[in-house]
Amino acid sequence: MKRGTPGILGSAGAAAAALAIGASASLLGLCGPFTDVSDPVFCPFVLEVFYLGITTGTTPTTYDPSSYVTRLQMATFLSRTVDGVLKRSRRAALRQYWTTQNPDALGVTTLASNPSRLESDGLDIWIATPSNSSVSRVRAGSGNLLSTWTGATSPGGVLIAMGRVFVTGTLALGRLYSIDPSTPAGAVQTLTSNLGSNPGSLTFDGGRIWTANVASVSIVTPGAWTVTTVTAGFTNPFGTLFDGANVWVTDAGAARLYKLDAAGGILQTVTAGGGASNPAFDGTNIWVPNADENDITVLRASTGAVLKTLTGNGLSLPDTIAFDGERMLVTNNGAGSVSLWKAADLTPVGSFSTGFSSSPLGVCSDGIHFWIALNGTGKVARF
Amino acid sequence: MPAAVALAAAALLGAATGSFGVCGPFADVNDPTFCPYVLEILYFGITTGTTPTTYSPSDGVSRLQMAAFLSRTVDGVARRKAPRASLRQTWTTQNALALAQTSVGRTPKFLEADGMDVWVSNTGESSISRVRSANGNYLETWTGADSPGRVLVAMGRVLVPGATLPGRLYSIDPAGSAGVVTTVASNIGQPAEGITFDGGRVWTVGGGAVAIITPQAAVPWTVTTITTGFDLPVAALYDGSNVWVTDDGLNRLLKVNSAGAVLQSVTVGTLPEQPTFDGTNIWVPNFDPPSVSVVRASSGAVLATLTGSGLLGPVGSAFDGTRVLVTDFTASKVWLWKAADLTPLGSFPVGSGPQGACSDGVRFWIALPDSGKIARF
Repeated sequence: MKRGTPGILGSAGAAAAALAIGASASLLGLCGPFTDVSDPVFCPFVLEVFYLGITTGTTPTTYDPSSYVTRLQMATFLSRTVDGVLKRSRRAALRQYWTTQNPDALGVTTLASNPSRLESDGLDIWIATPSNSSVSRVRAGSGNLLSTWTGATSPGGVLIAMGRVFVTGTLALGRLYSIDPSTPAGAVQTLTSNLGSNPGSLTFDGGRIWTANVASVSIVTPGAWTVTTVTAGFTNPFGTLFDGANVWVTDAGAARLYKLDAAGGILQTVTAGGGASNPAFDGTNIWVPNADENDITVLRASTGAVLKTLTGNGLSLPDTIAFDGERMLVTNNGAGSVSLWKAADLTPVGSFSTGFSSSPLGVCSDGIHFWIALNGTGKVARF
Repeated sequence: MPAAVALAAAALLGAATGSFGVCGPFADVNDPTFCPYVLEILYFGITTGTTPTTYSPSDGVSRLQMAAFLSRTVDGVARRKAPRASLRQTWTTQNALALAQTSVGRTPKFLEADGMDVWVSNTGESSISRVRSANGNYLETWTGADSPGRVLVAMGRVLVPGATLPGRLYSIDPAGSAGVVTTVASNIGQPAEGITFDGGRVWTVGGGAVAIITPQAAVPWTVTTITTGFDLPVAALYDGSNVWVTDDGLNRLLKVNSAGAVLQSVTVGTLPEQPTFDGTNIWVPNFDPPSVSVVRASSGAVLATLTGSGLLGPVGSAFDGTRVLVTDFTASKVWLWKAADLTPLGSFPVGSGPQGACSDGVRFWIALPDSGKIARF
């Protein structure tokens, strides 16, 4: 009783006799609460799946250890196992179990200009601000605006790869800019001005950079920074991602998602929705926001099969989607809001305002928070 | 490759090849579609087979066997996805000499991590210190936080309740230069010590009341104080659905609704302190008699009451994704349990009178008020 912690001194004596282990004791059988598990080798496993909430037992005091598992029961056990593992995330260690409910609860950083796209390198957030031709760097942990790189005319998409920050220049002769984050802020380096027309989104396959342009896809090889531009089959490529095996490109004009081969040829065509925009990969499935139809196409990357088309949940001109290891967040450019889903089972988490006229566009995750580009208010927000 | 080495390598390969069946070591798995899955759970340690060379692919799985498979799955994934694994930090710090310590202000009792820095409540000098997680560098100190309590990182800010009368809520913008904290509420009815956040509102507890504080665009933030149902609430947490409050006077863990009314009252030990949620269960250190209650958040059922020889005065707790750490103020130790199955991992001396604890996702941090330091565990 010498801690001096407020609120504890006065109650110590009276409360000392009240240790209530009855509830716990009443749960105890041979193996935790279970009276029918007597094998000491297996008891720890049974207890672990009980404490984790994977099983509740067949009754509060029985586990029925020798019965077989049906496929239906197995689905329940596996689903709870996946959920249990995913919930023990970095956010859990930081005690951040909430979902931000309204604009007043957002952590915001004000920029010099209106942000469009952004990406995290794990430590900092790199943000394209087209109206002042620059790229801003914000420290994720604190929200500090650290520095601004200039000379990035019409910056489009942002990519973190090869220890650099790459940004597309959305011009008729598309550009690729590069930033070395280990050097002081200054002018960006222009690596090439020979991309297809008006590139936006870009991705990396481990060796080459891919950009989605108006009516084409460009493939850039580092070193000489040579460019190959492919037009066959594309109407209006918009968003790109690499799933570990293939590059995928959304085509907003054709309402399609294309799986590409190493040369940029179309291997597979998946029907998405009108205005298919900036997709995200959750490790298994690809999520494609369809801006013109206010829905999201979810497809299996390994097969291209469409699993579900998500509607409702506040979708309004959905622009970009990101994954934080557990949840998907899509920006609703039309409504000034974001919508979230649980990635594992596609259930909606809810839709939350980012503020009047905030016009959210890009979104990324730093592994703890989502970061949202509030194009309408010149800010980025930690969600 | 020298000839002798090549011969030895060939012999080893031969030996290995000799142990292989149709699918890895298993002679009875001949479906090429399923073989990769069987091999993954073998290499992952989820199954050992029914014998060293058989898997018995057509047999049914009993619920007992399934428990083993699922338990090993959880453990295997948790081990591999922990940042400690990729950083090769697989040890548990064994004693105070092996602790890395950082001096902060006077009497640091409570602390919290934002993922990059650790924020420390120096209760002996009305200040909040900031320490870089990765290297333990002391960075700066914010002043003007009279009687600071526990620490919350939310909304891109650092929020600390003040156990003054009336209670206060202090705010720090980590993007700003260190200086005086901003008092965003100074009309919390009672001295505030504990704090949590539900995504929209800040909750403080202390002095016989719970306060719900709604952030505003400008100071002051609005405060609603609730006393009904509480005696001496000391700490709080949010589990993603509800706020829970430990009450030292009632010796209960209280689940409250969005208006602050008590929904459920769970009997825990005596003098419950700072609880921690591990994603499924709530861990409550009970000071005296010493124990740790583990409560299922979804039902409020007490799953276990953990004790241990030498557990003398548990007060603080934290979860790092796989383990729960509890500080033992009286024994000058910390205690560790594996969160998934509640098995004890041991107790370790850390120096005099540890109190608050947090995790930055990689390592635990412990407040050592007597020495004016915080320690990386």
